[in-house]
Amino acid sequence: MIQNYLILSVILFCIGILGVISRRNVFTVFMSIELMLNAANLAFITFSRLHESMDGHVLALLVMAVAAAEAALALAVVILLHKHKGNLDTNVFSLLKG
Amino acid sequence: MYAEWLFIVFSVLSVLGAIGLVLFRHPMSGAMSLIVTMISLAGLYALLSAKLIFVLQLIVYAGAIMSLILFIIMFLNIQTSDLPEEKGRFYYLLGGTILIIPIASFLIKVVKSLPGSQTTIVGNGFGGVKEVGLVLFQDWLLPFEIVSILLLVSLVGAVVLAGKRRLSK
Repeated sequence: MIQNYLILSVILFCIGILGVISRRNVFTVFMSIELMLNAANLAFITFSRLHESMDGHVLALLVMAVAAAEAALALAVVILLHKHKGNLDTNVFSLLKG
Repeated sequence: MYAEWLFIVFSVLSVLGAIGLVLFRHPMSGAMSLIVTMISLAGLYALLSAKLIFVLQLIVYAGAIMSLILFIIMFLNIQTSDLPEEKGRFYYLLGGTILIIPIASFLIKVVKSLPGSQTTIVGNGFGGVKEVGLVLFQDWLLPFEIVSILLLVSLVGAVVLAGKRRLSK
């Protein structure tokens, strides 16, 4: 049934949120965000199949492009932070804390 | 029946990969298990008869983005001693789970109230390259252009950020 796909999407999204909450490694946090984007994509594709219209496919395509842009930018920032601090702990990167 | 079994296999694999991403200590192991999740999600897209998205998930997500992340992880040469301590992560995990469970159960209840339909393969080229392309370039032309500008801006930004050291010399 089609609801199982949506339930799987909810489960994957929640696991992604848990990864962001509980981990302090920059890479793991970043990949958890990617996982949440993937869960949203699965929901888009499932609703697209439910209504038999292809707008959801186009939206999933756009989400992939946004994820690629995000990956390029975020990894550049991670390289820069690693150069400055020599660390991957998110608690070390507290420059904006004031 | 066959599709049901495939769905069970792919969904179990994707959930296991996601759990592995959260629990593994080294980001390299986490990235590997995330790749498992991506590939099984591609299988789920194929079951939902989204042919173009199936191919793009394999090429763009499991191929390009994940290899970029793996490349950066290897480029920084992360040893086990470089990793953050993360002493309280199981407490955070427990607290997060307690926070998440009501929201997740609410969402699952909402999802279960939707009208169901069988997940048979749709014919008439549903989800093929030509059909999705027609929708993309007729109804979604402006978002497509905006996303192309976003990609350009982020690439220029990445070059400026990562190449800063060399410029300032």
